Amino acid sequence: MSRGTLSLERLNPLTTLTGAAAVAVITTAAGHWAFSLTVLGGLLALTARQARAAAVLRAAAAILLPFWTALLFMHGLFFPEGRTVLAELGPAAVTREGLLFALDAGLRTGVFVVAFLLFSFTVRVPELLTVLSARGLPPRLGFVVVSALTLLPAAADRIRRIRAAQEARGLVIGRSLASRLLAARLQAVPLVLSLVHESGERAQALDARGFSGRQPHTSLRTVPDSAPQWAARRVLLVLSLAAVAVRVALALFGGRA
Amino acid sequence: MSAGPLLAAHVASFRFHGADTPALRDISITADAGSLTAVLGGSGSGKSTLARILAAWLPGHYGGELRGRLELGAAGAGGRIEFTGGSDDPRIDPAAWAAHVAYVPQDAAAMLSTVRDTVAGELAFGLENLGVQVEEMRCRIADTAGLTGLQDLLERDPATLSGGELRRLAIGCAVIRRPSVLLLDEPFASLDAEGAGTVERLVRRLTAEGTAVVVFSSTADTLCRSASHWTVLGNTVLGSGEHDGGRQLAAGTPGTLLVAGVPADGDALARSGVVVPEDAPVTAPRRIHAGGATPLLELIDVRFGYDRAGDVAAPGTETLRGVDLALRPGEILAVTGANGSGKSTLLRQLNGLLRPGSGTVLLKGAPTDGTPAGVLAADVGLLFQDPRFQLFERTALREVAFGLGAKRRLLRRNGDDAGVRERALAALAAVGLDAHVNTHPLELPASSRRLLALATVIAREPAVLALDEPTVGLDRRGLEVLDTAMAEATAWGAAVVMVTHHLAYARARADRLLRLDGGVLTPLD
Repeated sequence: MSRGTLSLERLNPLTTLTGAAAVAVITTAAGHWAFSLTVLGGLLALTARQARAAAVLRAAAAILLPFWTALLFMHGLFFPEGRTVLAELGPAAVTREGLLFALDAGLRTGVFVVAFLLFSFTVRVPELLTVLSARGLPPRLGFVVVSALTLLPAAADRIRRIRAAQEARGLVIGRSLASRLLAARLQAVPLVLSLVHESGERAQALDARGFSGRQPHTSLRTVPDSAPQWAARRVLLVLSLAAVAVRVALALFGGRA
Repeated sequence: MSAGPLLAAHVASFRFHGADTPALRDISITADAGSLTAVLGGSGSGKSTLARILAAWLPGHYGGELRGRLELGAAGAGGRIEFTGGSDDPRIDPAAWAAHVAYVPQDAAAMLSTVRDTVAGELAFGLENLGVQVEEMRCRIADTAGLTGLQDLLERDPATLSGGELRRLAIGCAVIRRPSVLLLDEPFASLDAEGAGTVERLVRRLTAEGTAVVVFSSTADTLCRSASHWTVLGNTVLGSGEHDGGRQLAAGTPGTLLVAGVPADGDALARSGVVVPEDAPVTAPRRIHAGGATPLLELIDVRFGYDRAGDVAAPGTETLRGVDLALRPGEILAVTGANGSGKSTLLRQLNGLLRPGSGTVLLKGAPTDGTPAGVLAADVGLLFQDPRFQLFERTALREVAFGLGAKRRLLRRNGDDAGVRERALAALAAVGLDAHVNTHPLELPASSRRLLALATVIAREPAVLALDEPTVGLDRRGLEVLDTAMAEATAWGAAVVMVTHHLAYARARADRLLRLDGGVLTPLD
């Protein structure tokens, strides 16, 4: 497998999973747009150095752009607590507080989305399954967890195939939003149906190959891990817990953070 | 080895849930230690269904109603299992059964776990699940890779393998657990001559070591010829009122079913639609009316390579390294080449699904760069190697109608729906699927799926038909449909370029035969 310049693929899947979760927890606990913006910037810089950077960014844009637009409309224009009115548009008012709220929520969601996409596009599925099963997760459950975590990359591959089949029969996807929406509408049903059909087929093959067997499984490859990674996971966990504790303490005793 | 059959089965009847007629009737099959048995039948004869029953691969209570019995020989722990079609029928543990009876489906990709990212990992998967120790696993992987010719591919991602390489991997995954019975459904589909030779040698070695091998095929090829026993299944001939489908038409040695290499009297093989290579209809030599006509399609020094980020690969590592090709109206061109040599990649350059890294593709004299694939599709119809990747709709009719007629709008249907329906129905009739207008494409037998994919191509009446392995899995009738489609297209001036491993077919049908080797095309005589 080729690697990016600072590839997350080389890390133990638990390290990247812990990292993604810690980033999400700490950013939520911090609850400040400037902090979220800094973290998001850092994540994007890290993304840019991955081999699949383009795929991660495309998926992030597909999720975040509609979400951010909705946030801006909802809170930018209609924010009941807004006091500092910047512009009046009939019943709607653009307020400084509303915009700040939208910015805060938008950036925080951005951190969440990019962190988990970065994880799911860079994790090596066989290794994740191996570490989950080594920690006692039943194989079928492990498969479900892994499938859920890597659903987006898998769906992205599948959509590419469906789009190729449709383009080969005359579908032209232009740059306009309407054209992209048409393409999405034409691809959504085939995507779901093919994933469902394949999951039935796959279950047969997995059963026949003994995947659901109760005996302990062995593993051909050892999953790379190291003392620094082990330590990093502990530090990330402690930091996450500390961030939550501080947040709760401030809320209880010290007013708002 | 124990005496007696390793696997014996009698299927009195098998009916899928909701079906009116049984898919299989009165079939008996035995597989003795060290024997090679062939189950022959045309499209829709129930070969794959029978294979799946023997492999315990049909879901739940067999996904239908099974009456009959399955019997594992002395090596198996299962003993004799009786099925009465009731809800209290015994259930087979698929993993325990697969330890004795391994199955490689016609669709090789269905065998893969999808959770291993190297060929070695995929081979190891079944062993890991058994708890085999790492050292033992490494030995068995090396051994199996040697037997299946996968030595140089062990570190490749299975998702990047060509169709033929994938089939050898699926066979490797089946034999690595050393089953006593091996069921191979269309084992030569998409294999090049070398790959076919490897599989044939593997089968001979396994039978010599005492494994019982059962091959399910629509072609009485050389491997089937060396079988000790044939079972011929009947075919449902659409619209003819014949209801032989799923019935055992004949059984015996190849010698009793073939006389001097061609089907004997009574003709169970012909009735079933089995392709007997020596008995293939002889076609008159084609008159090449291409002459000096202007090429419909031209490739000039086309170079293309893959790398992970989707960029153009460095020179010397490309799949295509300067391909030149001119295709004239009325011409049928066949391209052959080893598995993984880039034949499918070449076809995708023609309709713009892939774009050359350098070089030019000219369609009717105009460069195709900058023209979307969807626009090129009006002139170039591509039949994908794997119909599963070509078919995505809910019914056969919707499948063929997709993209026909006026350009689609987001919230408005095609204006000329009636015309589109008519064209789609005509294309379905042309491939003999008019009785399956409302069938889900994935519920069709594999060969019918390929014909449905062909219907989606011919319905558009493109100037260039680019066919990727069009003959795979087709029975006699399917090959006739393909012949007719190519003849009709070339008669009105279209050109056909097909990629195939089926050399005899290519020689019989094509005006020119080229070989893709080392990224360039060279004539093959």
